This record gives sequence, C-alpha cells and structure tokens, in this order.
Amino acid sequence: MKELARLVGILTLCCLIAGLLLSWVNSVTSAPIAEAARAEQLAALKAVLPEYDNQPDIDIVSIPDESGTPWIFHIARKSGAYAGCAFKAVSSQGYAGDIAIMVGITADGTVQGVEVLAQKETPGLGARITEPAFRSQFAGKPIEGTIWKVRKEQGNFDQVTAATISSRAVLEAMDRGFNIYRLKESTIRESKP
Amino acid sequence: MQFMREIVRGIFKDNPIFRLVLGMCPTLAVTTKVENGLGMGLAATFVLIGSNLAVSALRNVIPSKVRLPCYIVIIATFVTIVDLLMNAFAHELHKNLGIFIPLIVVNCIILARAEAFASKQNVWLSIADAIGIGIGFTLSLVLISAIREIGGAGTLTIWGSFGWTISGLNPALIFILAPGGFVTLGCLLAGMNHVQTILARRAGKPFQPPLDFDCRHCTICRFGS
Repeated sequence: MKELARLVGILTLCCLIAGLLLSWVNSVTSAPIAEAARAEQLAALKAVLPEYDNQPDIDIVSIPDESGTPWIFHIARKSGAYAGCAFKAVSSQGYAGDIAIMVGITADGTVQGVEVLAQKETPGLGARITEPAFRSQFAGKPIEGTIWKVRKEQGNFDQVTAATISSRAVLEAMDRGFNIYRLKESTIRESKP
Repeated sequence: MQFMREIVRGIFKDNPIFRLVLGMCPTLAVTTKVENGLGMGLAATFVLIGSNLAVSALRNVIPSKVRLPCYIVIIATFVTIVDLLMNAFAHELHKNLGIFIPLIVVNCIILARAEAFASKQNVWLSIADAIGIGIGFTLSLVLISAIREIGGAGTLTIWGSFGWTISGLNPALIFILAPGGFVTLGCLLAGMNHVQTILARRAGKPFQPPLDFDCRHCTICRFGS
C-alpha cells in the first residue's frame, strides 16, 4: 500500500512539473504564435488583393452558406472606397486531405490572384498546384463567363499534369466561393469598415 | 574524451537508422525533401537531449515500476515545447513538418535511448549519447532525403529557397512517393551492411550486428561469419 502511494505520488509529481513547465512555455509563445499566424494571413491577403490601405484581416464580412458554415470575406479598401475582397475556401476533395486556398477578387469582378494556404498533396505531382504555372492562369479572369473547371471537364483551365484531382479540388473550392460572392455581392460591396 | 567517444558511437556504430533500425516511420515519411529531413532531425535531436538529460538526472528518483509512464511524460513535454517554439519562431518549417512533430513522442529512438542509456548512465554521458544519436539521425535523414529529392524532383533544397536544381536529369517520381522511400532505405541498409561485412572480413573478425538488431535472415551478414 505504501509502495503504491509512493508510485502514484512520483508519477503525479512528474506530471505536475511537466504541466507547470508547459503552461509557462505556452504563456511565452502564445503571443508570437498569434503574431506569426496573423503575419501569414496578411501575407496571403497581400498576395491576392488589389492595392489597399486598410486592414483586411479584421475588416471582414461573414456570410453563411446553405449549410450554415460561415464564409469570411476580407475587404480591401483604398482611401475608404471598396477595392476588392478575398475569401478563404477549403476543398475536401484533394488527393491527400484538405486544400485551403485564398482567392482575391477586384472591384470589377475579376480574379486578382490565388494563393494555396495549406495542402498535403503528393510532392512533385499534386503539390505543384502551389506553383505559379498553375496559379497564374486564374489572374485577370472575370468571374462571370468563365467556366471554373479543368479542361478535361470542358472548363477553361489547364490541370497540373497527372494531378487532375488536386487541380479539380482547387477549382471546386473557388467555384463554391464565387457562388456565395454572386449571391451576396451587394452585401460585400456595401459593407462598412 | 569519453564524451567525444559517445558522440562518435551514436553517429556510426549505433546509428539509429542504419544500425539500430529505429524510428522507421518518420524516416520514411519526412524524407521527401532535404529541408524536411534536416528540420525533423534537428527537432528530434533537441527532444533527445532534453529527455536524456531529464531521465538521467531523475534515474535514482523514478521507481522502475513507473519508469515508462514517467519517460513518456518527459518526452511528451519536450515535444510540446519544440512544437510551440517552432510554431512561434519558425512558422514556415512548422507548417511543413506539421503532423510529424507531435509524432516524435512515439519515435522509438527517443524512448530507446532513455531506457537503454540515460536511465543507467550519468547526465554528462547521456547528453553525449543524445548529441551523437541526434547527429546520426539527422545525417541519415539528410542522406536519404537527398537521394530521394534529387532522384524524384531533380532539386536539392537545403533551406527555404536556398538550394540547387540539378539540370539534365529526368526525375523518376517514384523516389518521392512511399515505395521510393522503402527502396532507397533498403538499398542504403544493404549497402551499409555490405561495407561492414567487408571491413570485418579484412580485420579477420566476423561481422557482428548490434545485439538489438535482429538480422538472422539477412544473407549479407552470413557472408561475414
């Protein structure tokens, strides 16, 4: 019995010290982690949005889709006037897990740029969706009148060679975002900072 | 002097990948890019040093009946610290290594060194062992990932955008995919054993695989005895 108490005591002490140590490290690193995450989001926004002088990471409009999932639209403003918006879209139809992208739209309804935020596709195949060769074909395309599909499905875009599934997932995520944008364009445009 | 000897032993004689054949899961999973192999190796080295130090310092305090849960708590603590620090100060790398960092907890190299070495030796030698094994692990990962990256993608990325593209090469994608990992690792292991056998024969001694390395079924070893 005494032996058991000693074992339990030591194990408890061990966990207690570990817990204290971790809570201290967490308190030290939580601010830099939040800062790094914000810098990362701002860098992605800067890459896909037209020129802006506001803070698009906090100037947002949240629009729920049919299933109630909120879509966050980041608004870019230049001297107070609406300059464009960007949304983050996640596709679950990637080859290896979810693909998260950030899509920027200008005020006249054309795509400004697309960034891949997170993906776990096969290196050298599906992972090439992150390369400019694939992403640059979206810039300057108007949302209306463009078929947001890969060429294999009679769309307007080249798929990455031997990675149709990954390419299709990116376009599928973009298309869903554009549908929300079409429905709520006025809400986004008329939003106030 | 013995400090240096322990370090060198960890790199060659007890190389965790090629001699002890431990930690195969992260070895096969992360070695698609030199950058990832290097990051994983360095993170594991940090955890190894921390856990070896703590286990060795507490070796007379922890009763043997609860030693494994204690070791796991210690290792998990250091892994979480690495995870948090990396997320805060090396955000890009943390994004690349992602799920592999928490998996260091179950990396058998670290538990094996705590159990087989740090729980029996003093703090000083345990740190030497951790550094040696860590360097051995890192170098092995870099070697495997260099072969796989050059063969599979035709590039060699040391860090971020610093690296080379090898021209005139037609990359075979299989190197980067999972089967390529097994093939590369198998060929390297066979090659290392072959070299060992030749060296042992020259010295007139039979080739002795490490005691915890069961390769009775490996024909290369039989040539030496």
